[in-house]
Amino acid sequence: MLNVLLVDDDSEFSDVVCHIVEFLGHNINTAANLAEAEQWFENNTFDHVFLDFMLPDGSGLHLLEHLKAIGQSPRVTLISGHPSVKGKLAEMCEPNVGHLVKPLQREDIERVLNPKKAAPKKKATPAIKRHFGTLIGESEVMQKLYTMIERVAATSANVMLMGESGAGKEVVAQAIHNATDCDGPLVATNCGAFSKELIGSELFGHEKGAFTGAIARKEGVFEQAAGGTLFLDEVTEMPIDMQPNLLRVLESKKVTRVGGTKEQAVNCRVISATNRTLTDLAQNNVIREDIYFRLAVFPIDIPPLRERKEDIPLLANAFLEQLNEENGTDFKWQAAQIKELEAHDWPGNVRELRHAIHRAFIMSDPKGSVITLPDSLESPFSKVNKESQANQVVAGQTIEEVEKELIHATLDKVQGNKTIAAQMLGISTKTLYNRLNAYGGIGEYK
Amino acid sequence: MNNNESLRKMVHDARAPLNRISMNAELVKLVLENDMPKQKALEALNKIIANCQQCSEHLQEISDAHAAD
Repeated sequence: MLNVLLVDDDSEFSDVVCHIVEFLGHNINTAANLAEAEQWFENNTFDHVFLDFMLPDGSGLHLLEHLKAIGQSPRVTLISGHPSVKGKLAEMCEPNVGHLVKPLQREDIERVLNPKKAAPKKKATPAIKRHFGTLIGESEVMQKLYTMIERVAATSANVMLMGESGAGKEVVAQAIHNATDCDGPLVATNCGAFSKELIGSELFGHEKGAFTGAIARKEGVFEQAAGGTLFLDEVTEMPIDMQPNLLRVLESKKVTRVGGTKEQAVNCRVISATNRTLTDLAQNNVIREDIYFRLAVFPIDIPPLRERKEDIPLLANAFLEQLNEENGTDFKWQAAQIKELEAHDWPGNVRELRHAIHRAFIMSDPKGSVITLPDSLESPFSKVNKESQANQVVAGQTIEEVEKELIHATLDKVQGNKTIAAQMLGISTKTLYNRLNAYGGIGEYK
Repeated sequence: MNNNESLRKMVHDARAPLNRISMNAELVKLVLENDMPKQKALEALNKIIANCQQCSEHLQEISDAHAAD
């Protein structure tokens, strides 16, 4: 952070430069003439001075002389309205004095305040495109998703988002809201977080005195989202006996506050989300059929990250860029690291990728520019998921296939020790050998 | 003041509002790129509009002076 003094008699210009320099992370003070500038230098030192060439009480060059006299040597950038001043400066041969010609641009200021950092910024890679202001990715599956968002945004249909945890359901909800031509806000609420007693009040609001503790009138989320979008996350976690209340609102498009009598019209789009699969919804009775059809007028499947691995470099760059900006660092990916990220399966999807990058960012040497990835990208959850996925039995497999999988999984667990594996499997070591031979030899378990 | 000097002075005066326009436009960019309060951008845009007017007046002055010569 630099201490900057701006000497210029144009107060409007000074005002806006102050905003910009402060945004760049520096301290700035202003002086409207030479006398004020000299006064600043009486009790302060500055790293950089922006100096107007023509001031009401003399030329900016007088301040340069004054600085010499008091033995201060900040870097000085003369600002003038005419390029000919450059010639005069060259005659002076002052190494500490630079020159900018009006009208100024932010890049000029950045460059003179931070000559090393500003240079590479100019050739920075083109900004990563965020579709609908939020979504990153150019893969085929994402292009399909963008088309669906565009289509549904033009209507007022309710949308149900389905996707694994971490795939970005709330981000897609935001994208639909952004793409919709509406004036109201996006109100997000998590149905899994409501207590059974308060769910009605959260969704529909309550009147003062409706129940003990209702000390004031409260608007429900349907009212808060008027003219906008209501995002009901984890909608399938809402207790099933509460769902008829929600159905009533969705069908009648009217809401009555708890303890109230007056009906209010509801005019928001409802986007709901669940991380359960369609089969899960059908089999486990987590959502009433009538509610499902009201909410899922337009169901959208959000692809898991492993189905759009070509987007990983874009996402990794976007996340790192954001961290760099927030922390004033300049970390970069190496090609091998991106390959490593692409090779991982990311069962926790974009959220897991983001966390892994954040973790790597914290671990990296702040003085360097190379990011350090951990030895293993696995998270405790990804290990559990992998194991449970690996051990899943799928209808259509033969008994022999399942048996083979079980034997191999057991041997993996005990590092190939056949005596222990046989004990765990409840068979003799000889039978285990026979089975392995039957599967095509002992192979890797020798 | 001879003609040349007078013209130089008038061009110098016209550059001041241009300079304010440029910096205010940079401020609007900052606001938009960084999700800062909209009000700041609106204020800067109003200043840009006012300075365009001023710049136009200066140009008219130059044009009138040229016509008088």
